[in-house]
Amino acid sequence: MTRRVAVIGGAASRNGKLQTGPDAELHALEHEILAPLVIDAMAVAGLPKEEIGALIFAMCRPYTQQRYFATFMANYLRLPLKATIMEVLGNGMTGGMAFDEAVNTVASGRAEVALALGINMESHAASVEHAMLTMRATGDVDFHTIFGFTPIAWYAMDAVRYMHEYGATRAELASVAVKDRRHASLNPIAQFRTPLTLDEVLAARPIVEPLGLYEVPPRGDAAVCLVVCTQDLARATGRPHALVRGRGFFHDGAHQINEVPNDMTAFTAAQGAAAAAYRSAGIGAEALDLAELYAPCTIVEVLAAEALGLTPRGQGAAQAATGETALGGRIPICTSGGCLSRGHPAYVTGLLTIYELWEQLTHRAGERQVPNARLGAGSCELGNYNAALVHILEAMA
Amino acid sequence: MRLSFVDVPRRRPWPPRISAFTKPFWDALSEGRLITTRGRSSGRLTFPPKPFCPHDWGREVEWVELSGRGRLYAQTVIHAVPAAFIGEAPIRNGIVDLDEGLRVAARILGEPALDAPVECVVLRYGDGPLFAFRAVRA
Repeated sequence: MTRRVAVIGGAASRNGKLQTGPDAELHALEHEILAPLVIDAMAVAGLPKEEIGALIFAMCRPYTQQRYFATFMANYLRLPLKATIMEVLGNGMTGGMAFDEAVNTVASGRAEVALALGINMESHAASVEHAMLTMRATGDVDFHTIFGFTPIAWYAMDAVRYMHEYGATRAELASVAVKDRRHASLNPIAQFRTPLTLDEVLAARPIVEPLGLYEVPPRGDAAVCLVVCTQDLARATGRPHALVRGRGFFHDGAHQINEVPNDMTAFTAAQGAAAAAYRSAGIGAEALDLAELYAPCTIVEVLAAEALGLTPRGQGAAQAATGETALGGRIPICTSGGCLSRGHPAYVTGLLTIYELWEQLTHRAGERQVPNARLGAGSCELGNYNAALVHILEAMA
Repeated sequence: MRLSFVDVPRRRPWPPRISAFTKPFWDALSEGRLITTRGRSSGRLTFPPKPFCPHDWGREVEWVELSGRGRLYAQTVIHAVPAAFIGEAPIRNGIVDLDEGLRVAARILGEPALDAPVECVVLRYGDGPLFAFRAVRA
């Protein structure tokens, strides 16, 4: 049994520093932040809580005190469930997988309504300590981590190789950060909304050469809840919604680097996932009105855009610099401000991606609205885009 | 071919775990040799070494010595390092394509250009070896 599925509601917190320290007099508690968003999202959907059959959570960071957070929340929300409840984990793909599984649960007929939701709290953990965890996620602990590779170090090497092969300039890459910040300035939930200049991006202190502070993701927290339901139910509400029109996934079978030398910056997993998504949607890349890409660094947005066929291979940075991927340009990318400026609470970034697409496709995006947006693509990934998950959503009035 | 040694007068920040299977790799490295496994049925090399061939899942493998020569595919300098690596920062790491057709990640010494020929050297830390690559000396 496969049914068509739509995103009918959503709500998100602001991105930024929400987490409190262990000695805080008053703590910010995950469930107290997330529960009101669930209620908000269902109110937007116009559906009663009794319709919810499944909760699919992005797993919490290890800093969250409450373990088995999902079942704790089922109690907190007093929500009996007939389909399923789970917490998923897949590095940067975590939020996207939560959405994907919520869609599956509805498509398969197990539930009429499923929530894809999560909260990522990590900002109080010092970056040098947080990196002790993340370095073990993006590398072979005994053959990569031994050298001190961090998650973004791999992207930095993509940048070096890409500039070497295609002659892309530092300024072209840096322009992505300027563009994303401009988008974020129009997004009320963005972590950073003060405009950035190209000079500021280029002069920032180096983090992983050649990338400086504004070309790598900020640390931050956020919570988000999406309401997924059958297309029939979405239509019955009479409310605008976004149909899940296509989906594609691919894992290249490598962990950070392919032991058989390949074209690392081609992001072949994203190519494969995008091809499958376009095929299932029955469209080509040129049909898209916008794309919200999982791109923790400037270079990643460039390479993912190329892999999804939004910009020609080797020209992604140059096209970003000339405004083709900005609001008002040929194909607006990361209208939310993306990981760089909207924020990158990594385990829920994939949910924020779908949230932005839903806002755009239901024409709720305010000043950053893409006019007449009808088709949008979202991507998420893990490793050095070793795996990619692409969804294509379509506006349904 | 015996690799050159570079002494590093401190302990490795994040020493690798050694198993009964990977011990020959680390022992060989201590002696100045870079080795890995090759599947007997596939004839294909793999890295890191594995007790089976990932290409055809053949269970029989043999240890073979690598030249340690290759070309630098990519590199970066990591300024924001994990806590354990603060004493090593900034760190130049890279990706090397070995002449035998294997891609490996490692520490990089000096500042070789991309695609430049590089050679493996053994970093002799106080508590054991790591490997690195540097430009081939004329």
